[in-house]
Amino acid sequence: MPIYPLLSIVAAVAVVVAELAWFRSGLFRQPAYWVSMAIVYAFMVPVDGWLTKLSSPIVIYRESDTSGLRPVWDILAEEFVYAFALLTLVILVWDRAGRSDG
Amino acid sequence: MDHLDRYQYLLLMGLCLLVTLPLEVAFGARVWRRPRRLLVALTPAFVVFVAWDLWASATGTWGFDPDHTVGLTLPGGMVVEELVFFTVIPICTLLTLESVRNVLTGRVPWLPWPRPAERPAERAESTEPTGTGERPGPGAPARPGEGG
Repeated sequence: MPIYPLLSIVAAVAVVVAELAWFRSGLFRQPAYWVSMAIVYAFMVPVDGWLTKLSSPIVIYRESDTSGLRPVWDILAEEFVYAFALLTLVILVWDRAGRSDG
Repeated sequence: MDHLDRYQYLLLMGLCLLVTLPLEVAFGARVWRRPRRLLVALTPAFVVFVAWDLWASATGTWGFDPDHTVGLTLPGGMVVEELVFFTVIPICTLLTLESVRNVLTGRVPWLPWPRPAERPAERAESTEPTGTGERPGPGAPARPGEGG
């Protein structure tokens, strides 16, 4: 598997494992989390689409390092996996920090 | 227009901040108002994903169009805009999350549905109101001055 989708999947799995084994926050059982992710993904399409659109990209990928799958507006499929890992990690730490800080 | 083109990435990030800023107030997200907690929340992801970005930029998995970026780069070619990205996008996400939580738990006072905080265990029973001086059901608009 090319490096970018591979590392994205590794990152996403690592975050899920971190939640299940370490944070144990129950985040994945919270409807608010899934609703928020749906909203964020909806906004990701124009934002990430603008960054990676093939017509005039700001971020340019080496094609052989990617899956080549671009389901929505030239956004690579692995970008959605990458975003899941990045944003879920942020939320997990935010919630953990909030338990003491308020 | 050429010089404005180089700010495309930064302007996009600015737009994201601008669009999500009202969530802090209108939905009481309280993300910007908890800066210490925000800093803690951003740091681990920032470290991991910037390290990944530095590496991927240096090895050529991805690169950046010099015509659409301001031209400040870190060793390996990663543009400074990426640092902004890993700050701005998580903030937008947390603003969304906290807003959704406030909506779902009835903590947005101007929304027309009742506040579950006041009636803890009765959310599932949304059948006919049995009408003995109960508060209005989910469909009824709340009066502006009610409750405080």
